[in-house]
Amino acid sequence: LDVDRRRFLTVAGLGFAGGAATLVAGCGGNKQNKGTGPIAGEKPQSPSPEPAESDVADSTVLNAALDLENQAVAFYTQAMKALTGANLRAVRNFRDHERAHAAVLSRAIKGMGRTPDAASKSYRFPRLPTQDDILRYAIRIENGQIGHYIDALPRLNTGSARAEVASIFATEAEHLAVLNGQLRERSAPTAFVTGQGVG
Amino acid sequence: MPEADHSRREVLVAGGAALAAAAAAPLLTGVRDAFAQAGDDESILRAALNLEVTAATVYQRSQSQLGGIARLFRNQERQHATALAAALRLLGGKPSATIDRNLMGGLAAASSRRARAQFCINLENTAVRAYEDAHRNLRDARTMQVVTTILGNQAQHLVVLRQIAGRPAVPGAFERGRS
Repeated sequence: LDVDRRRFLTVAGLGFAGGAATLVAGCGGNKQNKGTGPIAGEKPQSPSPEPAESDVADSTVLNAALDLENQAVAFYTQAMKALTGANLRAVRNFRDHERAHAAVLSRAIKGMGRTPDAASKSYRFPRLPTQDDILRYAIRIENGQIGHYIDALPRLNTGSARAEVASIFATEAEHLAVLNGQLRERSAPTAFVTGQGVG
Repeated sequence: MPEADHSRREVLVAGGAALAAAAAAPLLTGVRDAFAQAGDDESILRAALNLEVTAATVYQRSQSQLGGIARLFRNQERQHATALAAALRLLGGKPSATIDRNLMGGLAAASSRRARAQFCINLENTAVRAYEDAHRNLRDARTMQVVTTILGNQAQHLVVLRQIAGRPAVPGAFERGRS
Protein backbone atom coordinates (compact mmCIF):
# COMPACT_ATOMS: atom_id res chain seq x y z
CA LEU A 1 0.00 0.00 0.00
CA ASP A 2 2.76 2.41 0.88
CA VAL A 3 4.37 1.57 -2.44
CA ASP A 4 1.20 2.64 -4.23
CA ARG A 5 1.15 5.97 -2.45
CA ARG A 6 4.86 6.54 -3.01
CA ARG A 7 4.42 5.91 -6.72
CA PHE A 8 1.47 8.29 -6.85
CA LEU A 9 3.36 11.03 -5.04
CA THR A 10 6.28 10.65 -7.38
CA VAL A 11 4.14 10.57 -10.48
CA ALA A 12 2.22 13.64 -9.36
CA GLY A 13 5.47 15.49 -8.83
CA LEU A 14 4.75 15.99 -5.16
CA GLY A 15 7.88 14.36 -3.81
CA PHE A 16 7.71 11.70 -1.14
CA ALA A 17 8.02 12.54 2.49
CA GLY A 18 8.20 8.98 3.74
CA GLY A 19 9.27 7.91 7.19
CA ALA A 20 6.15 8.93 9.04
CA ALA A 21 4.74 6.07 10.99
CA THR A 22 1.13 5.32 10.31
CA LEU A 23 -1.31 3.02 11.95
CA VAL A 24 -2.52 1.58 8.70
CA ALA A 25 -3.11 -2.09 9.19
CA GLY A 26 -3.55 -2.87 5.51
CA CYS A 27 -6.67 -3.03 3.47
CA GLY A 28 -7.12 -6.68 3.00
CA GLY A 29 -4.84 -7.53 0.12
CA ASN A 30 -7.45 -7.34 -2.56
CA LYS A 31 -5.72 -8.79 -5.57
CA GLN A 32 -8.41 -7.82 -8.02
CA ASN A 33 -7.64 -4.13 -7.82
CA LYS A 34 -4.03 -3.26 -7.42
CA GLY A 35 -4.47 0.48 -7.28
CA THR A 36 -2.87 1.18 -10.64
CA GLY A 37 -4.29 1.75 -14.07
CA PRO A 38 -7.99 1.49 -14.70
CA ILE A 39 -10.12 1.26 -11.62
CA ALA A 40 -12.02 -1.85 -10.80
CA GLY A 41 -11.25 -3.63 -14.02
CA GLU A 42 -12.92 -0.91 -16.06
CA LYS A 43 -16.35 -1.89 -14.91
CA PRO A 44 -19.04 0.55 -15.95
CA GLN A 45 -20.51 2.53 -13.08
CA SER A 46 -24.21 1.92 -12.97
CA PRO A 47 -26.94 2.04 -10.37
CA SER A 48 -27.50 -1.68 -10.70
CA PRO A 49 -25.89 -4.00 -8.16
CA GLU A 50 -22.35 -5.04 -8.87
CA PRO A 51 -21.61 -8.75 -9.31
CA ALA A 52 -21.08 -10.67 -6.09
CA GLU A 53 -17.33 -11.00 -6.51
CA SER A 54 -16.84 -7.24 -6.57
CA ASP A 55 -18.91 -6.90 -3.40
CA VAL A 56 -16.51 -9.27 -1.68
CA ALA A 57 -13.61 -7.02 -2.63
CA ASP A 58 -15.39 -3.86 -1.47
CA SER A 59 -16.35 -5.45 1.82
CA THR A 60 -12.73 -6.39 2.46
CA VAL A 61 -11.60 -2.83 1.84
CA LEU A 62 -14.41 -1.41 3.97
CA ASN A 63 -13.75 -3.83 6.83
CA ALA A 64 -10.17 -2.59 7.03
CA ALA A 65 -11.51 0.97 7.19
CA LEU A 66 -13.99 -0.10 9.87
CA ASP A 67 -11.15 -1.42 12.01
CA LEU A 68 -9.45 1.96 11.88
CA GLU A 69 -12.68 3.79 12.66
CA ASN A 70 -13.27 1.56 15.69
CA GLN A 71 -9.74 2.21 16.85
CA ALA A 72 -10.32 5.96 16.51
CA VAL A 73 -13.55 5.71 18.52
CA ALA A 74 -11.67 3.87 21.26
CA PHE A 75 -8.85 6.41 21.28
CA TYR A 76 -11.10 9.45 21.38
CA THR A 77 -13.25 7.89 24.09
CA GLN A 78 -10.16 7.36 26.21
CA ALA A 79 -8.75 10.80 25.35
CA MET A 80 -11.92 12.51 26.53
CA LYS A 81 -11.06 11.51 30.11
CA ALA A 82 -7.90 13.62 30.03
CA LEU A 83 -8.86 16.60 27.88
CA THR A 84 -10.55 19.83 28.87
CA GLY A 85 -12.15 22.87 27.29
CA ALA A 86 -11.90 23.28 23.51
CA ASN A 87 -9.76 20.14 23.20
CA LEU A 88 -12.44 18.09 24.90
CA ARG A 89 -15.22 19.59 22.79
CA ALA A 90 -13.33 18.88 19.59
CA VAL A 91 -12.48 15.32 20.50
CA ARG A 92 -16.01 14.54 21.65
CA ASN A 93 -17.23 15.76 18.27
CA PHE A 94 -14.66 13.64 16.47
CA ARG A 95 -15.57 10.57 18.52
CA ASP A 96 -19.16 10.98 17.43
CA HIS A 97 -18.09 11.39 13.81
CA GLU A 98 -15.95 8.25 13.92
CA ARG A 99 -18.88 6.35 15.40
CA ALA A 100 -21.06 7.56 12.54
CA HIS A 101 -18.43 6.46 10.04
CA ALA A 102 -18.23 3.03 11.67
CA ALA A 103 -22.01 2.70 11.55
CA VAL A 104 -22.17 3.60 7.86
CA LEU A 105 -19.32 1.27 6.97
CA SER A 106 -20.94 -1.56 8.95
CA ARG A 107 -24.23 -1.03 7.14
CA ALA A 108 -22.48 -0.97 3.79
CA ILE A 109 -20.65 -4.21 4.55
CA LYS A 110 -23.87 -5.86 5.67
CA GLY A 111 -25.52 -4.59 2.50
CA MET A 112 -22.92 -6.54 0.56
CA GLY A 113 -23.94 -9.70 2.38
CA ARG A 114 -20.80 -9.74 4.50
CA THR A 115 -20.19 -9.52 8.22
CA PRO A 116 -18.58 -6.35 9.59
CA ASP A 117 -15.53 -6.99 11.72
CA ALA A 118 -16.28 -6.49 15.39
CA ALA A 119 -14.40 -3.83 17.28
CA SER A 120 -11.58 -5.15 19.41
CA LYS A 121 -12.47 -5.53 23.09
CA SER A 122 -9.48 -3.39 23.99
CA TYR A 123 -7.03 -1.18 22.16
CA ARG A 124 -3.60 -0.33 23.51
CA PHE A 125 -2.41 3.22 23.31
CA PRO A 126 0.79 4.71 24.71
CA ARG A 127 0.83 6.79 27.88
CA LEU A 128 0.28 10.38 26.83
CA PRO A 129 1.06 12.74 29.71
CA THR A 130 -0.07 16.08 28.32
CA GLN A 131 -3.03 17.33 26.32
CA ASP A 132 -0.71 18.23 23.47
CA ASP A 133 0.66 14.68 23.49
CA ILE A 134 -2.87 13.37 23.15
CA LEU A 135 -3.62 15.72 20.26
CA ARG A 136 -0.40 14.71 18.50
CA TYR A 137 -1.32 11.06 18.86
CA ALA A 138 -4.76 11.89 17.52
CA ILE A 139 -3.02 13.30 14.45
CA ARG A 140 -1.27 9.95 14.02
CA ILE A 141 -4.63 8.19 14.24
CA GLU A 142 -6.17 10.54 11.68
CA ASN A 143 -3.18 10.27 9.36
CA GLY A 144 -3.47 6.49 9.56
CA GLN A 145 -7.07 6.69 8.45
CA ILE A 146 -6.30 9.20 5.73
CA GLY A 147 -3.49 7.06 4.34
CA HIS A 148 -5.77 4.07 4.33
CA TYR A 149 -8.58 5.87 2.53
CA ILE A 150 -6.24 7.23 -0.15
CA ASP A 151 -5.10 3.69 -0.85
CA ALA A 152 -8.57 2.19 -0.50
CA LEU A 153 -10.59 4.52 -2.72
CA PRO A 154 -9.27 3.27 -6.06
CA ARG A 155 -9.85 -0.29 -4.91
CA LEU A 156 -13.57 0.18 -4.38
CA ASN A 157 -15.61 -1.14 -7.26
CA THR A 158 -18.72 0.98 -7.03
CA GLY A 159 -18.90 4.71 -7.65
CA SER A 160 -21.41 5.27 -4.86
CA ALA A 161 -19.13 3.56 -2.33
CA ARG A 162 -16.23 5.69 -3.47
CA ALA A 163 -18.24 8.91 -3.12
CA GLU A 164 -19.36 7.92 0.38
CA VAL A 165 -15.85 7.02 1.46
CA ALA A 166 -14.55 10.26 -0.06
CA SER A 167 -16.93 12.19 2.21
CA ILE A 168 -15.52 10.30 5.20
CA PHE A 169 -12.00 10.98 4.02
CA ALA A 170 -12.76 14.70 3.75
CA THR A 171 -14.04 14.72 7.32
CA GLU A 172 -10.87 13.05 8.58
CA ALA A 173 -8.87 15.75 6.80
CA GLU A 174 -10.98 18.33 8.62
CA HIS A 175 -10.28 16.64 11.94
CA LEU A 176 -6.61 16.94 11.13
CA ALA A 177 -7.02 20.65 10.44
CA VAL A 178 -8.74 21.22 13.79
CA LEU A 179 -6.10 19.20 15.65
CA ASN A 180 -3.33 21.20 13.96
CA GLY A 181 -5.06 24.38 15.03
CA GLN A 182 -5.47 23.19 18.62
CA LEU A 183 -1.71 22.59 18.64
CA ARG A 184 -1.21 26.20 17.51
CA GLU A 185 0.03 25.09 14.12
CA ARG A 186 -1.23 25.79 10.62
CA SER A 187 -4.57 24.10 10.08
CA ALA A 188 -3.94 23.39 6.40
CA PRO A 189 -0.15 23.22 6.18
CA THR A 190 0.21 21.42 2.86
CA ALA A 191 -1.65 21.49 -0.45
CA PHE A 192 -2.11 17.72 -0.50
CA VAL A 193 -3.50 15.71 2.39
CA THR A 194 -1.59 12.47 2.10
CA GLY A 195 -1.57 11.01 5.60
CA GLN A 196 2.18 11.40 5.68
CA GLY A 197 3.72 13.59 8.35
CA VAL A 198 2.06 16.98 8.58
CA GLY A 199 -1.05 17.80 6.66
CA MET B 1 -34.07 21.75 -5.95
CA PRO B 2 -32.44 20.74 -2.66
CA GLU B 3 -29.25 22.56 -3.53
CA ALA B 4 -31.04 25.79 -4.24
CA ASP B 5 -32.88 25.42 -0.95
CA HIS B 6 -29.60 24.83 0.75
CA SER B 7 -28.10 27.95 -0.78
CA ARG B 8 -31.03 30.01 0.45
CA ARG B 9 -30.65 28.57 3.93
CA GLU B 10 -26.98 29.49 3.94
CA VAL B 11 -27.87 33.04 3.08
CA LEU B 12 -30.27 33.25 6.00
CA VAL B 13 -27.73 31.84 8.39
CA ALA B 14 -24.86 33.96 7.24
CA GLY B 15 -26.83 37.17 7.20
CA GLY B 16 -27.17 39.96 4.71
CA ALA B 17 -23.44 40.35 4.14
CA ALA B 18 -23.39 36.99 2.44
CA LEU B 19 -26.09 37.85 -0.07
CA ALA B 20 -23.65 38.79 -2.77
CA ALA B 21 -21.71 35.61 -2.30
CA ALA B 22 -24.83 33.50 -2.35
CA ALA B 23 -25.94 35.11 -5.58
CA ALA B 24 -23.22 33.11 -7.26
CA ALA B 25 -24.57 29.81 -5.91
CA PRO B 26 -26.49 28.76 -9.06
CA LEU B 27 -23.37 29.34 -11.11
CA LEU B 28 -21.30 27.31 -8.68
CA THR B 29 -23.84 24.53 -8.92
CA GLY B 30 -23.40 24.68 -12.67
CA VAL B 31 -19.69 23.99 -12.30
CA ARG B 32 -20.41 21.04 -10.12
CA ASP B 33 -22.77 19.71 -12.76
CA ALA B 34 -20.11 20.20 -15.40
CA PHE B 35 -17.80 18.10 -13.25
CA ALA B 36 -20.38 15.41 -12.84
CA GLN B 37 -21.23 15.40 -16.53
CA ALA B 38 -17.60 15.09 -17.56
CA GLY B 39 -17.54 11.60 -18.95
CA ASP B 40 -13.89 10.66 -18.82
CA ASP B 41 -10.87 11.30 -16.65
CA GLU B 42 -9.45 13.89 -19.00
CA SER B 43 -12.66 15.93 -18.99
CA ILE B 44 -12.86 15.76 -15.21
CA LEU B 45 -9.27 16.95 -14.90
CA ARG B 46 -9.89 19.83 -17.30
CA ALA B 47 -12.93 20.96 -15.29
CA ALA B 48 -10.94 20.63 -12.06
CA LEU B 49 -8.09 22.65 -13.53
CA ASN B 50 -10.43 25.50 -14.42
CA LEU B 51 -11.90 25.43 -10.92
CA GLU B 52 -8.48 25.50 -9.26
CA VAL B 53 -7.23 28.37 -11.40
CA THR B 54 -10.40 30.30 -10.63
CA ALA B 55 -10.04 29.58 -6.90
CA ALA B 56 -6.43 30.77 -6.97
CA THR B 57 -7.62 34.00 -8.55
CA VAL B 58 -10.33 34.44 -5.93
CA TYR B 59 -7.79 34.06 -3.13
CA GLN B 60 -5.37 36.35 -4.92
CA ARG B 61 -8.09 38.99 -4.78
CA SER B 62 -9.00 38.23 -1.17
CA GLN B 63 -5.74 39.19 0.47
CA SER B 64 -7.00 42.45 1.90
CA GLN B 65 -9.89 40.63 3.63
CA LEU B 66 -8.26 37.31 4.55
CA GLY B 67 -4.58 38.25 4.76
CA GLY B 68 -2.05 35.43 5.03
CA ILE B 69 -4.78 32.79 4.80
CA ALA B 70 -5.63 34.03 1.30
CA ARG B 71 -1.99 33.85 0.24
CA LEU B 72 -1.56 30.36 1.67
CA PHE B 73 -4.72 29.06 0.02
CA ARG B 74 -3.89 30.78 -3.28
CA ASN B 75 -0.54 29.01 -3.31
CA GLN B 76 -2.17 25.69 -2.48
CA GLU B 77 -4.76 26.09 -5.25
CA ARG B 78 -1.91 26.78 -7.64
CA GLN B 79 -0.18 23.61 -6.47
CA HIS B 80 -3.40 21.71 -7.10
CA ALA B 81 -3.53 23.13 -10.61
CA THR B 82 0.06 22.07 -11.23
CA ALA B 83 -0.65 18.54 -10.03
CA LEU B 84 -3.83 18.31 -12.10
CA ALA B 85 -1.96 19.50 -15.17
CA ALA B 86 0.69 16.84 -14.55
CA ALA B 87 -2.00 14.19 -14.19
CA LEU B 88 -3.60 15.40 -17.41
CA ARG B 89 -0.30 15.11 -19.25
CA LEU B 90 0.08 11.55 -17.98
CA LEU B 91 -3.23 10.74 -19.61
CA GLY B 92 -1.98 12.23 -22.87
CA GLY B 93 -3.86 15.49 -22.55
CA LYS B 94 -2.59 19.00 -23.10
CA PRO B 95 -3.34 21.16 -20.05
CA SER B 96 -5.00 24.50 -20.49
CA ALA B 97 -7.00 26.42 -17.95
CA THR B 98 -9.54 29.18 -18.12
CA ILE B 99 -10.63 31.41 -15.28
CA ASP B 100 -14.38 31.11 -14.93
CA ARG B 101 -15.53 34.71 -14.51
CA ASN B 102 -19.02 33.53 -13.64
CA LEU B 103 -17.67 31.88 -10.51
CA MET B 104 -16.31 35.21 -9.39
CA GLY B 105 -19.64 37.01 -9.60
CA GLY B 106 -20.36 38.79 -6.36
CA LEU B 107 -16.77 38.67 -5.19
CA ALA B 108 -16.31 42.43 -4.98
CA ALA B 109 -19.56 42.85 -3.06
CA ALA B 110 -18.34 40.43 -0.39
CA SER B 111 -16.08 43.09 1.00
CA SER B 112 -15.92 42.38 4.73
CA ARG B 113 -13.70 39.63 6.15
CA ARG B 114 -16.69 37.54 7.14
CA ALA B 115 -18.52 38.01 3.85
CA ARG B 116 -15.39 37.16 1.87
CA ALA B 117 -14.91 34.03 3.99
CA GLN B 118 -18.50 33.06 3.20
CA PHE B 119 -17.91 33.62 -0.50
CA CYS B 120 -14.89 31.35 -0.31
CA ILE B 121 -16.87 28.78 1.69
CA ASN B 122 -19.35 28.60 -1.20
CA LEU B 123 -16.49 28.14 -3.64
CA GLU B 124 -14.79 25.48 -1.53
CA ASN B 125 -18.10 23.68 -1.01
CA THR B 126 -18.46 23.56 -4.77
CA ALA B 127 -14.98 22.08 -5.04
CA VAL B 128 -15.66 19.47 -2.38
CA ARG B 129 -18.89 18.38 -4.06
CA ALA B 130 -17.21 18.28 -7.44
CA TYR B 131 -14.26 16.23 -6.24
CA GLU B 132 -16.47 13.81 -4.35
CA ASP B 133 -18.62 13.39 -7.45
CA ALA B 134 -15.47 12.85 -9.47
CA HIS B 135 -14.72 9.78 -7.35
CA ARG B 136 -17.80 8.14 -8.85
CA ASN B 137 -16.52 8.42 -12.39
CA LEU B 138 -12.73 8.53 -12.39
CA ARG B 139 -11.21 5.36 -13.76
CA ASP B 140 -7.48 5.83 -13.39
CA ALA B 141 -6.24 5.04 -9.89
CA ARG B 142 -3.37 7.52 -9.90
CA THR B 143 -5.65 10.29 -11.08
CA MET B 144 -8.10 9.43 -8.35
CA GLN B 145 -5.39 9.63 -5.70
CA VAL B 146 -4.37 13.07 -6.90
CA VAL B 147 -7.98 14.16 -6.66
CA THR B 148 -8.40 12.58 -3.21
CA THR B 149 -5.43 14.42 -1.71
CA ILE B 150 -6.69 17.70 -3.17
CA LEU B 151 -10.18 17.03 -1.79
CA GLY B 152 -8.64 16.72 1.68
CA ASN B 153 -6.98 20.09 1.38
CA GLN B 154 -10.17 21.78 0.16
CA ALA B 155 -11.97 20.35 3.17
CA GLN B 156 -9.27 21.80 5.41
CA HIS B 157 -9.76 25.19 3.76
CA LEU B 158 -13.41 24.91 4.74
CA VAL B 159 -12.44 24.44 8.38
CA VAL B 160 -10.39 27.63 8.42
CA LEU B 161 -12.97 29.65 6.51
CA ARG B 162 -15.83 28.45 8.71
CA GLN B 163 -13.87 29.54 11.77
CA ILE B 164 -13.43 33.00 10.24
CA ALA B 165 -17.14 33.11 9.43
CA GLY B 166 -18.01 32.10 12.99
CA ARG B 167 -19.46 28.76 12.06
CA PRO B 168 -18.79 25.23 13.37
CA ALA B 169 -15.50 24.00 11.92
CA VAL B 170 -16.64 20.43 11.25
CA PRO B 171 -20.42 20.48 11.28
CA GLY B 172 -21.05 16.86 10.37
CA ALA B 173 -19.55 13.39 10.15
CA PHE B 174 -19.72 13.37 6.37
CA GLU B 175 -18.29 16.35 4.55
CA ARG B 176 -20.37 16.71 1.43
CA GLY B 177 -19.76 20.35 0.68
CA ARG B 178 -23.18 21.47 1.79
CA SER B 179 -22.54 23.54 4.90
